[in-house]
Amino acid sequence: MGTTIRDVLMRIRGFAQRHTMERRLDDEMRFHLDMLAEQHRRAGLSPTEARRRALAAFGGMERFKDDARDEYRSRLLDELGQDIRYAVRVIRRNPGFGAAAALTFALGVGASTAIFSVVHGVLLRTLPYREPDRLVVLWESQPARGNDRNVVSVPNFEAWRSRARSFERMAALVPFPGTITGDPSPEHVMGAEASAGYFEMLGVSPALGRTFASGEEQNGGADVIVLSDGFWRSHFGADRRVIGRTLPIDGRPHTIIGVMPPTFDPPQFAWLTDQAFWRPFAPTDNNRGWGRFLLVVGRVKQGIPLTAALREVQGIAAQRAIEDKGNEGWSASMVGLSAQITGDARLPLLVLLGAVGLLLLMAVTNVANLTLGLIRRREHELAVRRAIGATSSRLLRQILTLSAVIGAVGCVIGFIAAVGGVRALIAVLPPEMPRSDSIRVDAAVLLFAASISLIAALAVGAVAALRGGRNGAASLRESGGRAAARLRGGSLVTAEVALGLVLTVLAGLTMRTFAKLRTVDLGFDSDRVVVARVGLSGPRYRPPEARVAFFDQVLSRVRALPGVQAASAVSTRPFGGMGPASPVGDASTSETGDSVVADVRYVDADLFRTLRTPLVAGSTFDSRDALDAPPRVVINRTLAQRLWPSESPIGKRLHVPMFNGIVPEVIGVVGDVHLMDSRTPARGTIYLANSRFPMDALDLVVRSSMDGASVMRSLQSVVTALDPALPVYWVTPLDDLVGRALSRDRFTAALLGAFAVVSLLLAAVGIYGVFAGDVAQRRKEIGIRVALGAPSGGVIALVMRRALARAVVGVALGTIGALVAGRAMRSLLFGVGAADPVSFVGVATLLLVVAVAATLVPAVRAARVSPLVAIWTD
Amino acid sequence: MGDKGRGDVLQGTLDMLVLKSLQLGPMHGWGITERLEAGSERVLQVGQGSLYPALYRLERQGYIASEWGTTENNRQARFYKLTTLGRKRLAEERALWARMSRAVDLVLRMGEG
Repeated sequence: MGTTIRDVLMRIRGFAQRHTMERRLDDEMRFHLDMLAEQHRRAGLSPTEARRRALAAFGGMERFKDDARDEYRSRLLDELGQDIRYAVRVIRRNPGFGAAAALTFALGVGASTAIFSVVHGVLLRTLPYREPDRLVVLWESQPARGNDRNVVSVPNFEAWRSRARSFERMAALVPFPGTITGDPSPEHVMGAEASAGYFEMLGVSPALGRTFASGEEQNGGADVIVLSDGFWRSHFGADRRVIGRTLPIDGRPHTIIGVMPPTFDPPQFAWLTDQAFWRPFAPTDNNRGWGRFLLVVGRVKQGIPLTAALREVQGIAAQRAIEDKGNEGWSASMVGLSAQITGDARLPLLVLLGAVGLLLLMAVTNVANLTLGLIRRREHELAVRRAIGATSSRLLRQILTLSAVIGAVGCVIGFIAAVGGVRALIAVLPPEMPRSDSIRVDAAVLLFAASISLIAALAVGAVAALRGGRNGAASLRESGGRAAARLRGGSLVTAEVALGLVLTVLAGLTMRTFAKLRTVDLGFDSDRVVVARVGLSGPRYRPPEARVAFFDQVLSRVRALPGVQAASAVSTRPFGGMGPASPVGDASTSETGDSVVADVRYVDADLFRTLRTPLVAGSTFDSRDALDAPPRVVINRTLAQRLWPSESPIGKRLHVPMFNGIVPEVIGVVGDVHLMDSRTPARGTIYLANSRFPMDALDLVVRSSMDGASVMRSLQSVVTALDPALPVYWVTPLDDLVGRALSRDRFTAALLGAFAVVSLLLAAVGIYGVFAGDVAQRRKEIGIRVALGAPSGGVIALVMRRALARAVVGVALGTIGALVAGRAMRSLLFGVGAADPVSFVGVATLLLVVAVAATLVPAVRAARVSPLVAIWTD
Repeated sequence: MGDKGRGDVLQGTLDMLVLKSLQLGPMHGWGITERLEAGSERVLQVGQGSLYPALYRLERQGYIASEWGTTENNRQARFYKLTTLGRKRLAEERALWARMSRAVDLVLRMGEG
């Protein structure tokens, strides 16, 4: 084997160094000239004269060289042309082989290219901002509690911004949901507040007008806005005279000062989603006391390492921890903006890219296998051609040309399929996939497809040349009566099984994860529940009584609708993203030792009945929870067990630092509800009565026997009847929210599942091919065995044993690979270990079954070999 | 060159003559001209300008093969040798040549009794 590889390498090198032709021509000519001069010298001339005569006799040296060069070059070109024609002829004479090889190749290239376009768009393409690698997101952190990315308080942001020297700029962002009160109906729009210098920091300029001046950050922020290109087009018909006009947001007129260009793609991360407009964020005495809610982005100065910038901010955070008791235990953390945006999408995409790479490897293995089979069928021809003077390098070149032609055809088909595949992928992409707009098939993707095709074709050619070329180069005599019983293509079988196993185990792990996630007890019943948000805006709802009264009226009217079984309201719906949270503690032990962080939800008393969340102990809110009544609280089971593990929490008092510190009495305990998603376990949660702490925006939660669409219509008409200026937005069945939270897991599991099915097919076809070829090759040997009385069962067992031996080695190698791959994707798994025995044993068995099944037909065919074959075959 | 009674090789016969000279054994380009000149009693002269292109052409067509070797004077030279295909070709060319030269001869002797 070693010598063969070296041999091939040397031949390839010789082939590559075509320019040595020049030197060889020179050498050959110099020799001729020397001989001519020598002849003259022997005739009695002086050496100089002999040389001169020889040169003269030699004549037009350059012209001669030209002629010779032409002959040499056209020889290589001719041969290349011949080789391509030969390849095409071979493929046309074996259309089955051609189609199978090209399509398998196209499958591998197409799938890889499609996944690569997604990876390229989401992970690799640089962010559309000036020097995006200097942009970072800064978080507060609590190292002791493992809380490493927490939103930032206003005073801390101000301290970081004014004290840090490593940053060119730093800006704070906060989502700003607004109601646009205008024609024809009120509309809810998501915007963001951004501190001055935000746009300059990103390095983007407005298409029209200007962005915020630093003065606009003073005095609570001016009522000015910058519009996104999309909003400008949809609401102002792309009118360029829009600057200076006003837009009423939440009843307050805002002056439009700028419009961003269509290319501006604002960073979206954490709770920052779509942004239709931006207004200035300004620190005020009011919001300095709101706790932590800001997202902070910074641009680190050129030449300053990011780690140094982080150390500086951590130093400032340490000062802040001394200055302000509320900062005790808090530090700071930092992450690159790009990594922050791609965040959770990175690992699943890399896993998919790895998986599709394995699929490509399998496709290459199969094509190599097919090519080998073809070469073996033409072995006699190759031996004949070799005997009449074809050189080994020429035969090698022909095999490479054949795989190059297959690769070229496969690349074209695969690329076309990838263009369609990318479109399909974008359509099924999880909705929260970041940067999905930048996924497209472009030059980089084309280059990728061409490169992997070239590498794959070379790999096919190399395998075929190494394993088939050697046999092809064997002498005629040998090729006739081959007695060697070695299974050819055996290592290909092992490779197929190993690769298929890795892919299928990964698919098994993610599918089991998805199944486990679906069966998680979420703590509520989402079936036939519709949620819709209503936000109150305007002076009319400033008095708390008005807010309470409005929602009471809405709910009583909704409850009266036909088909409605229950209706209630909550400040943030389950699976509706981040909501408020607060440290809480047992008021009797210490007033300040707030040991647990709890989610906080403001609810209507009927929420638990509507969501079918069980009331474990005590009761829910009632008419006693009025505006100036002593506050009461319902807690979830996790918090109850955490604070009062061995006694009943009913009647105990909780300390909550919100609202300048309250000590509500615990009146009830409810079951745990997954508020974020299926994966994140419920943490401590406190429910406060909206009638006691009225919010200005609530999610209505309605359980109805009617279909979703009609419930949505009725909700809008109930609200409009009460106040036509109020929009109802984010209307969706709760089932959809739950489903959407699983979309990434579903996406990964579905794609990996599809890859696994394809890989099993490839493995089956590949293994079948090897053994079909093996049996055909050994007909004589089998015939002799049958003639000597071997029972057909014995013959089948003989073939099967070879298959199983190879498959078992493949299973062993694949298991090692799958263990490594499973570890790498551990954070994607839920409810199953990276070495999940069910997946591993199940898939190993599956692969062995596939291997045996794929060998069955050739084995049975072997058993039917007539003993006469022993005589007939030469 | 210019000598009376000496001439360039007939167009089309060079390939055959080269193949024939190699039938005697592998040889380098210089040696082939020597063989041809000696074999034709110095009547035929092969110019380098046509010899080497012919060699490369024959090699491309697979009638001859080449490899580097050492001459009797211990110099490196490129040796050409006949392939099986070339041997066949030479036989065909010879047969054709025999028929052609006989035909030409017959025509030239017309009416000369």
